[in-house]
Amino acid sequence: MKRRHFLISAAAVTAGVTIMPRMAFAAEGVIDVYFTSDQNVIDFWTNVVKPKFEAAHAGITLNLVDGGDGPGVAAIGDRALAALASGADPQADLFEGYDTRVNAGAIDKGLFVDFAAAGLSNYSKVNPLANDIPTRLAYRGSQVLLAYDTTKLDPASVPKTWADLVTWIKANPGQFIYNRPNKGGSGGNFVRRAIFEANGNDPKKFTVDNFTPEFAEQALTPAFAMLNDLAPSLFEGGAYTSGNTQSLQLLGQSAVTMIPAWSDQALSAIAQGVLPETTGLVQLQDLGLPGGFTYIAVLSNGANKDSALLLADFLLTEEIQSAVLTELGGFPGVSWDYISADLREKFADIIPASIPTFPGGKWETAINDGWYRAVAPNVDPAS
Amino acid sequence: MTTTDAGALAPAPTQRKRPIGLLLVAAPVLLVLWLIIWPIISAVIQTLWLPTPDGGRALSVSSYQFFASDPYSRANLAITLWTTGVCAIFLLIICLPIALYLRFSNSRIAAYVQGLAIFPMFVPSIILSFAFIRVLGPNGTVDLLLNSVGLPKIKSPYLTPWGPVIGLVWDNIPLTVLILLSGLGNVSNQAIEAARDVGAGRFALLRHIILPRISNSILVAISFAVLGIFSAFTLPYVLGPAAPEMMGPFMQRTFRDLFDPTNAITQAVITFGFCIVFGLFYVRSVAKNRTP
Repeated sequence: MKRRHFLISAAAVTAGVTIMPRMAFAAEGVIDVYFTSDQNVIDFWTNVVKPKFEAAHAGITLNLVDGGDGPGVAAIGDRALAALASGADPQADLFEGYDTRVNAGAIDKGLFVDFAAAGLSNYSKVNPLANDIPTRLAYRGSQVLLAYDTTKLDPASVPKTWADLVTWIKANPGQFIYNRPNKGGSGGNFVRRAIFEANGNDPKKFTVDNFTPEFAEQALTPAFAMLNDLAPSLFEGGAYTSGNTQSLQLLGQSAVTMIPAWSDQALSAIAQGVLPETTGLVQLQDLGLPGGFTYIAVLSNGANKDSALLLADFLLTEEIQSAVLTELGGFPGVSWDYISADLREKFADIIPASIPTFPGGKWETAINDGWYRAVAPNVDPAS
Repeated sequence: MTTTDAGALAPAPTQRKRPIGLLLVAAPVLLVLWLIIWPIISAVIQTLWLPTPDGGRALSVSSYQFFASDPYSRANLAITLWTTGVCAIFLLIICLPIALYLRFSNSRIAAYVQGLAIFPMFVPSIILSFAFIRVLGPNGTVDLLLNSVGLPKIKSPYLTPWGPVIGLVWDNIPLTVLILLSGLGNVSNQAIEAARDVGAGRFALLRHIILPRISNSILVAISFAVLGIFSAFTLPYVLGPAAPEMMGPFMQRTFRDLFDPTNAITQAVITFGFCIVFGLFYVRSVAKNRTP
C-alpha cells in the first residue's frame, strides 16, 4: 500500500513540475538570432559569422535558431510585440532576413531598433540601393541567375537577353522549369523579370507605394500573357516545381537543361556536389533577373540589445562582407567601394554593379495570386 | 467452501464509483471541447460574422459565395475530391488482398510481408516526397533501370495529379491494412471451413462469408484514409501540380502568402464539412458495433 501511495504521489509531483509554466529568461551574453533564410545561410553564420564574432567579442555568444520561414519568425515578432506591451522578456534579439512591416503596428510602437539613429560605425557603408526603412539593415544581397548544364548547352551560345532566352526555351521544349513564385524566390524573380520585360524594362516603375489594383492589372496582365505563352515549352508542357531545391534537383538529375536559381544556393550546391561541376551560371545582360537584399532587424526590448547592435555593426565590416562574397556566394550589403579591390575585380564579371529589385508589400500578393489564377492552371489536369 | 468464499467478496460498489468515472472522462472531454470543438465553432462564426466597411460586423455569407462563384477555388475542391476518391479505391484494391493474405497465410514470408506493409508508417512524408522524385521523377531510378535494359522512359507522375495519388496511397497502406486485418480477426476459421465443406469456392467464400463480416472495418478504414487524404499537405504540395491545388496547400497559401485569413478559414470550414460526413460514417459504425 505504502509503495503505491509513494508511486502515485511521486508521479503527481513529477506531472505537476512538468506542467508548471516554465519561467525562461534569455541568458545574459547570448544573442538569440532567428533566421528566415535557407540552411546555406545558417551554415554561413555557424561557420563564419559566429566564430569570428565570438573571437572578437569575448563573453558574448550567438544562439542561432532556424525560424523556418518569414511567417515562422513573424510569430516570434508577434510574441516580442506582446512582450513589449507587458514589459516581459521577448527571448529574442535579432531577426535575420526579416521585413519589420509584417507585425502590424510594431514599428510605430518602437519594437524594432531604428538603425539610422543607432549610431553604428559602419552604417554609412550600406549600399544606397538597399535603403528601405530605417528599422531594416541590409547586410547581404543575393541575385537570381540562370543555372544550366554545360554538357547540353554550349556556354558560347547560352542566351544572354530575355528575347534570346524566350527563343531558346521555345526551341528546346521541356528543357526549362521555374518554381512557383510564392515558393522560394528563384521562380518568383523569374516572374518579376517577365513583369519588367512587359513594362519597358524599367525597375523604377514599381515601388511599394504605387500599388493600385488598376495599375497592377494593367502591368501584370501582359506579363502573365508572356508566361502563358512560354508554358507549353516548359518542362512537361507547363509544370512548376514547388521550391528552389526541387528545381536544383531536376537540373541535377539532368531532367532539364536550365533553371533560374539563387546565386548563393547554386554555388553551394555545386560545392557540395548536389549540382555537377559542369553546371554553368549566367546572368541576363539586358536587365538582370531581380534579386534583393536581405535585412536584419534588432528588437529594442531584447535583453541583449546592445550586444545585438554590436553584432549588426560587425556584419557590415569588410571581413564579413568579403566572406559573403567568397563563402556564401551572395553579394555584399555595403557599397562595392568598401570591398577589397582584388575581390571587386574577381567578381566583377559575375556580379553586376546593380541588381534590379522588385518591391514587396501588396505587389507580392498581387503577383502570387495572379500567377496562380492566370498562369498555373495552364496545366491540363488530365495530362 | 467455494460458495462461502464467493459470498465473502465485497459487493461491487456501483453507486459510489460513478463520480470518479465521470471525472476521469472529464479531462479528455474538456480538452476536446477546448482544442477542437471551440475552434470549429469560432471558425464558423468568423466566416459568417464579417467586418463591414463602417467598422462594425454583420452576418454575411459573402466569403462562401466567393468560394462557390470562384472557378479556381471550385477546381481546387474538385481535385481534392478526385484525389481522395481515387486514393480510396486504390487503397481498397491494394490493401484488401494484402490483409486477406496476412490473415490466412501461415508461412514465414507473411511476417516479412506484414513488416513491409507497415513500413510506410515510419517514413515521414517529406522524406517520402523527395525519395519519390528520385525514384519516379524524371531520369529517376526507374528510368535508369528501364534505360539499362533498352526500354523507353516512363511518363513521370511528378508534378501531375497522379504524383500525390501514388504518394498518399503508399503512405496510407499501413493504417488501412491494420484496420482490415483487425476486422478479419472476426472471421472465424470454423465458418470458413464449414463453408468449404459445403463446396463454396474462393470467391463465394469472399462474397458470402468474409465481406459481410468485415464491411464495417472497410468503412472504418476508408473513413480514416479519406479524412487523412482530404486534408493532406506535404505530398500534394511537393509532388502535385501548381494548379489546381488540393485544399491543404490552397488553405496554407491563402493564409500565409495572400494574408487572407477569412478566405482561408472559409476553405477550412468547407473542407471540414466534407470530412465530417466521413467522420459520421466512422461514428455510426462504432456505435453499431457497441449495441449487440
